[in-house]
Amino acid sequence: MEKVVLLLSMLSLGVSSQPITDVQRLFSIAVSRVQHLHLLAQRLISDFESSLQTEEQRQLNKIFLQDSCNSDYIISPIDKHETQRSSVLKLLSISYRLVECWEFPSRSLSGGSAPRNQISRSLTELKRGIVLLITANQDGAEFFPESSPLQLAPYGNFYQGLGADESLRRTYELLACFKKDMHKVETYLTVAKCRLSPEANCTL
Amino acid sequence: MMKTSAEVNLLLLLLVFTLHVKGMRYSPPGKPALTRCRSPEKETFTCWWESGSDGGLPTTHALFYRKENSEAVYECPDYRTAGENSCFFNKNNTSIWVSYNITVVASNALGSTFSDPVDIDVVYIVKPNHPEMVTVTVLEDKGWPFLRVSWEPPHKADTRSGWITLIYELRVKLEEENDWEMHLAGQQKMFNIFSLRSGGTYLVQVRCKPDHGFWSEWSSTSYIKVPDYIQREKPMWVLITCFCAFIFLILTWLLHMNGHSLKDFILPPVPGPKIRGFDKQLLKNGKSDEIFSSLVVSGFPPTTSPNCEDLLVEYLEVYVPEEQELMEESKDLHDICLKSEGCTSDSDSGRGSCDSHTLLMDKFREAKEEKRQRDQEKSRTGTEDQRQQKDWEEEGLTYAYEDMVSPNISSGRVKTWPSLFSPLPQYSSSRHNQKSSLEKAKKHCFSDSLFPPGSTSFSLDQGGQTTMEAIRSSNREFSLRIKQPHLLHSHTQARCQLQAHSEVNISSIGCKQALGGLRSPAPHSAEYVEVQRVNEENTVLLQPVESGHGHIDGCSQLPLGKDYSRVQGVDRYNRLLLKGEVPQEGDCLYDYQDMTGDRTENCYTSSSVPSIQKPTACIHTVIMGHDEMVLAENGYIDTLTARTLPNY
Repeated sequence: MEKVVLLLSMLSLGVSSQPITDVQRLFSIAVSRVQHLHLLAQRLISDFESSLQTEEQRQLNKIFLQDSCNSDYIISPIDKHETQRSSVLKLLSISYRLVECWEFPSRSLSGGSAPRNQISRSLTELKRGIVLLITANQDGAEFFPESSPLQLAPYGNFYQGLGADESLRRTYELLACFKKDMHKVETYLTVAKCRLSPEANCTL
Repeated sequence: MMKTSAEVNLLLLLLVFTLHVKGMRYSPPGKPALTRCRSPEKETFTCWWESGSDGGLPTTHALFYRKENSEAVYECPDYRTAGENSCFFNKNNTSIWVSYNITVVASNALGSTFSDPVDIDVVYIVKPNHPEMVTVTVLEDKGWPFLRVSWEPPHKADTRSGWITLIYELRVKLEEENDWEMHLAGQQKMFNIFSLRSGGTYLVQVRCKPDHGFWSEWSSTSYIKVPDYIQREKPMWVLITCFCAFIFLILTWLLHMNGHSLKDFILPPVPGPKIRGFDKQLLKNGKSDEIFSSLVVSGFPPTTSPNCEDLLVEYLEVYVPEEQELMEESKDLHDICLKSEGCTSDSDSGRGSCDSHTLLMDKFREAKEEKRQRDQEKSRTGTEDQRQQKDWEEEGLTYAYEDMVSPNISSGRVKTWPSLFSPLPQYSSSRHNQKSSLEKAKKHCFSDSLFPPGSTSFSLDQGGQTTMEAIRSSNREFSLRIKQPHLLHSHTQARCQLQAHSEVNISSIGCKQALGGLRSPAPHSAEYVEVQRVNEENTVLLQPVESGHGHIDGCSQLPLGKDYSRVQGVDRYNRLLLKGEVPQEGDCLYDYQDMTGDRTENCYTSSSVPSIQKPTACIHTVIMGHDEMVLAENGYIDTLTARTLPNY
C-alpha cells in the first residue's frame, strides 16, 4: 500500500526521469501482489474442497462445468500466442478489468484465515497499481475503462440473490473463478513486465 | 463422428455374433482410465490412459474431449506423438484457463466402454521438463573452494517472455553418503555451495517447478570432485607445536625459578687451589703421589710430645725498617690503625674483620708503596735489608700477616706467602665448624720444612681454637712474611701443623713453595722470633732467633737471648699486647690488632689440641690482618699496625 503511494508520487513528480526503472518497479510490485492474491485464492479453494465430502466433490465438478464464471465476458487471450500478440496496454487494461470485477464480489468470499475484507483491499490496491502502470505506458493519457461502471452492478446482484442452498456451489464457483482470474492477471502482468524489461531473459 | 461410431458398433455386434456363433466367449473391453495429463510448457499438453481388459478381442481406444461452455466433442488430434495410449494436444488445440472434459473410450467388436471424465485446466497441470545444461565448477574464495552450479531452464519452457515462471531447486550429496542436501534456488539459474569436504566427490541435481504446477524430474547427475585444500596433518602439527611450546615455557619458568640451585647441581663450582706457590699442574697431572708429597709436611704429625718450647715455629720475619721510617710508618699506620680501630667486630663472629679491612689494606698498600719508594731511594744493601727486616723475638706471639694483596711488594721489605693466604672469603663461614676454622687456619700454615733451619718456630696449639676463631674472618687475609726462609727454624716441632684438610695441605704446599720461591730472592737474613714458652701468665715468651744477620734497629738486637716482648695481655679490643723487653732499649710494646676480634692466639705448646683435627697444634696466627708489624722503638716487631699502647 505504502509502496504504491510512494511510486505514485514518484511517477507524478517525474515520469520522464528513468521511466523504465520506475515502471519495472511498479510491475514488480504489481506482480508480487497478484501472486499473493493467487496464492490466497488457491488456499481458499483447497480449504473449501477439503471441507467437503466425496460426494459433494463430484457434484461440484459437474456443477463447475455447467456454470461459467462471471468474468467470462471479458475477452482475454487464452493462449500464449494471443498473449504475445496483445500489446502491453491491452494486457494492462484487461488486467485492470479483471481486478476491478472482483473488487466487490470478493467480499462475499469465505476467507479461511484471512478476514473477508482483506482480499477486497488488496484488489483495490492492485487496481491502483495497474492504473499507474497504464498511465505510465500511455505517457499521461488518462485511462478510462469503458465499461467499468456497467460491469459492477450485475455482479453485485448476481451473487446477492443466491439462496442458502446454492451457497455451497456458489462458493465453490466463486473461489474457482477467482483463482483463475488471478492467475490470468498474474500471467498478463508478468508478460507485460518482461516485454518492457531491458533484459532479454526476463529474470526477476 | 456419430456415424462412424454407429458403424463401429455394428461391426462389433457382428463380430461378437460371429464369435458367439462360433462358440467362443468374448466380452466388451474393460473400462479405460485416464492416468494423467501433463503440460510441459503451458502451451501443449498430453494425456495418458490405461486400458482395461480387452475382452479377448482387439480393442481400440479413443479420446474425446469437450471444452467448457461448449457442447462440441472433439477427438484427440494426435495419438502418436506422445506414445502409446496417449493423446497429444498441440498449441492450436490448447487453450489456457479453459476447462477440458476428457473421456477415453475403449471399443471392441462387442462393445465400447467409456472411462470416467476428467476435467483439467492446462494452467494447473504444468510439469516442466528438468533443467538443462547443468554445470558444476569449483571456484575459490580466499583460498576456500566452493561449488558453483549453473543451469538452463528447459528449452521448451518460455521463461524469457514471462509466459511461465519457474523456480528451481537443487540437491547435493557426497558420493559415499545417502542423504541429499536440498537447496531452493528461487528463480535464479545459479547457486553456490560452500563448506565442502576437502577431497570429496559431490553429486548435484537440479529440478524446476512453475509457480503453480508440479515439480519436474531431477536432472541428470553431475559429478564434481573437490580438490584437497585442507592439509590433513596440519592441525595435528599445529597442536603438537603448541603443546611443545607450552612445555618449553613451563620448563623455562622452572629453570628460572630454580636457576641457581640447578646450576650448582649441574655445574658445581670447582674450587681451585688457592695456595700460593702451589703448582696447579700437579693437580692437573693427577698424580696423587706428587700432590700429597708436596703437601705433606715432613715430620707431621709430631711424634714427640710437643713442648711449648719445642713447638716453636719460626716463620715470621719481622722486618725492621729504619727507625725513622718505622716511626713514620708507625705513625701513619697508627693513624690508619686508629681509624680502623673503630671497626667493630663481633667477638664470636668469624667474620670479624671489618669492612674497613680492605680499606686498610689499600691504605697499607699505599703506605707500603711509599715506604718502598723511600727505601729504594736509599741505598740498598743487604744490610739495609737486614735492618729493615727484623726478626722479632717476643714472648708474645704475634704474627703479622701482611695482606696478601701485595705479595710482590718486595723481595725487599715484605715477604709474604702469596698463595698461602688466599682470600678468606672462600672459606665456609661456619664458625663453629672446626673444619672451617681449620681451613682458615691453614692459612697459617707453617710447615716445618718450609722454614729454614735455625729458626725457631712457634706453634700454635689449639689455642688453635681461638686461633681458628681469630682467623675465621672471612675477609681476613693473611700473609705471612717470611723474612728469611733460611732462618726458619727447622724444628721438627715447629712446623706448620697442617690439618688433614686438603686445603690445608694445599696451603702448606703453597707455603712450601712460597717459601721456596722466596728463598732465592732473599739474600738478606732475617731474624725470627721464637716462642720460648708460655708462662703462667699466659704470656708468650719469645726468644729471638740466633742469627748473625739481622741487625735490627731498636729492638732488633735480638740474637742474644733476649726476651723480645712479653705478651702483656689482651686488651679489650682483643689485641695482643706484647711487651718487648730489651735491656738496651725500652720496652716495645706492640699492639697487634686483632682484626678478627678474637683474642689473640697464643701459641701453646700443649699437645692437646682439642679442637683441631690433627693432634698437632697449628701454628700461627694471629692476626690480623693487613697490619704490618711496625717496628717499635725497640725494633722488635715490624708491623704495619704497630702502635704503642700503654701498658696495662
